[in-house]
Amino acid sequence: MDNLTLSFLHTVLKEVQSKHDWKASLDTLFTSLRGSFVFDNVVIFLEDPQTKSLDITYARAMGRGKTAEADAAWGERVAMEVLSTGKLVLNVPKHHGRGEKSRMDKPHLLGMPLNIASKICGALIFIRFGGPEYSDLHIKIASLQAFWSAALIERRDLQVARAELDSVQRQMRLQDDFVSTISHELRTPLGFIKGYSTSLLRQDTTWDDATQREFLNIIDEEADRLTRLIEDMLESARLQSKTLQFKFSPVRIDALVRDVATRVNTHHPNLKIEFDLETLPQVLGDGVRLSQVFENLFSNAIKYAPGSKLKIGTKALGKRVLLTFADEGEGIPEDFLPFLFERFYRVPGERTVTGTGLGLYICKQIVMAHHGKIWVESVLDEGTTFFIELPADPTL
Amino acid sequence: MAKRILIVDDEPRYLRLLEANLRTEGYEVATAQDGVQALDVFSAHPIDLVLLDVMMPRLDGFGTCQRIREFSSVPIVILTARGEEQDRVRGLDLGADDYLVKPFSATELLARVRAVLRRAQPPAESGQARFFTHDDLKIDFARAEVWRGEEAISLSATEYRLLLQFAHNIGKILTSEELLTSVWGAEYKTDKEILWVSIARLRQKLEEDAHNPHHIVTRSGLGYLMPPTES
Repeated sequence: MDNLTLSFLHTVLKEVQSKHDWKASLDTLFTSLRGSFVFDNVVIFLEDPQTKSLDITYARAMGRGKTAEADAAWGERVAMEVLSTGKLVLNVPKHHGRGEKSRMDKPHLLGMPLNIASKICGALIFIRFGGPEYSDLHIKIASLQAFWSAALIERRDLQVARAELDSVQRQMRLQDDFVSTISHELRTPLGFIKGYSTSLLRQDTTWDDATQREFLNIIDEEADRLTRLIEDMLESARLQSKTLQFKFSPVRIDALVRDVATRVNTHHPNLKIEFDLETLPQVLGDGVRLSQVFENLFSNAIKYAPGSKLKIGTKALGKRVLLTFADEGEGIPEDFLPFLFERFYRVPGERTVTGTGLGLYICKQIVMAHHGKIWVESVLDEGTTFFIELPADPTL
Repeated sequence: MAKRILIVDDEPRYLRLLEANLRTEGYEVATAQDGVQALDVFSAHPIDLVLLDVMMPRLDGFGTCQRIREFSSVPIVILTARGEEQDRVRGLDLGADDYLVKPFSATELLARVRAVLRRAQPPAESGQARFFTHDDLKIDFARAEVWRGEEAISLSATEYRLLLQFAHNIGKILTSEELLTSVWGAEYKTDKEILWVSIARLRQKLEEDAHNPHHIVTRSGLGYLMPPTES
């Protein structure tokens, strides 16, 4: 192989491989070889594995006759022949025409089989309007492009399969994690109850009064934790299976959140809450459930941004209302934000004895049942803001 | 002499529960809330038994169990949740001596501890031989760190495992097959090239002069060994 050809091939190979998108790779492949092998249209047909019909996967008009639409211009019949014979097919018109119109009517088609994963499942079709003839060299270059296209398509298929596999694996891991997390979450308070009660029941030793009270208090607290956990799990299960009944009626979100804030303040008198509330149009919602959502946001802020001031805002946005809930705590790393609303998800490194890991998941389910959206933004060391958007009903 | 038990659990309430009960039996107790802390404490005092929770986040229980086993045969009892058979099996495979399933009763815990201590070998050596030295080479088993003089050496996981084989078998010739099987696995038994390359890389990192090795020495036709030092 001479140097010129070698460096040319090197450049083409490098350019084609540098593209991450398979279509861009194919574009580069065909344009860069167009100097040695000219054509007007190029099409790739692939056989749909289920329906066995031919679909156009890729098509480019690169030369004359860019507006041609006839099926002959795209070579479907030639493609079918390539697929059934598994061989190269050359289809040239019997007479050479002259002039624009007759040239378009005389396409020269070259069809190459595409061999993907050891099966002929497609065809690469080159179309020249009015010639020239496809020489042996042209056919060789075309076969090179056919091999290459097949490899690029196979790579694309593998990438898709891998992404799907990753997704399925992730789902399975979540499921496994979910089951083992439930088991862990339930066992923890049970373990304490069993451990501390059997300690008190020991006949071979006595405990002083202070220790006895300590152990009994723990048993009591853990029983409460277990109760909360079971309630949350049932609630989330009901939400998940959509059997939870919502009672919708006109609700004023700004008033509702103020009520919840007042209630929270009585339990946490040191909590500073700032309001920036616009009067909102009414929302069709379940006041009890929405209160639950707000309570959860408050309790998270108290837990994860202790001592921080909370800023609650509401805004009317035409057909929607927006509620913002901001704290000035440590913030949450960006990498963890997408998972925050998943069941039992806890930010790694956080060890809270009292969290069930279901709070935000339940919030999301409730907000979604209201046809709303909930999301979060956070900046490390500055704070976290939760956003809830709900559809407003101006007719109310 | 009272036996000292190391409790490793990330839940303070479990530490309290276990410690309170163990002390009534006259045991001395040391506690740690994660694997890293556990290894530090373990290396600092003589420990007769380790109670290890296997559901901790930072350096999980299994990792800690494995790390301890790299340099000590102290009895280890893992604390695991019922129904997770893989946990129990995995723990036992990694060298735990027994397991205790949560939720457990206080009397069950104490009986298990007594039984495991009864089965165990004679008294713990002080400090559990955390450090290993061979001339200018020093290994800190607890932290899995390797030093050449004052310089910290960075080894890959495989290189470290390979080095451990020699450190635990001073003066003994190890055949290629033995090394390949224990470090890489049975399928690699005849993959001599991997061993050659790894030993060469290890020598580059550890030896003063890789062509004149003192730490890992070749015995033609027989294998490799770490020769005993003059001390």
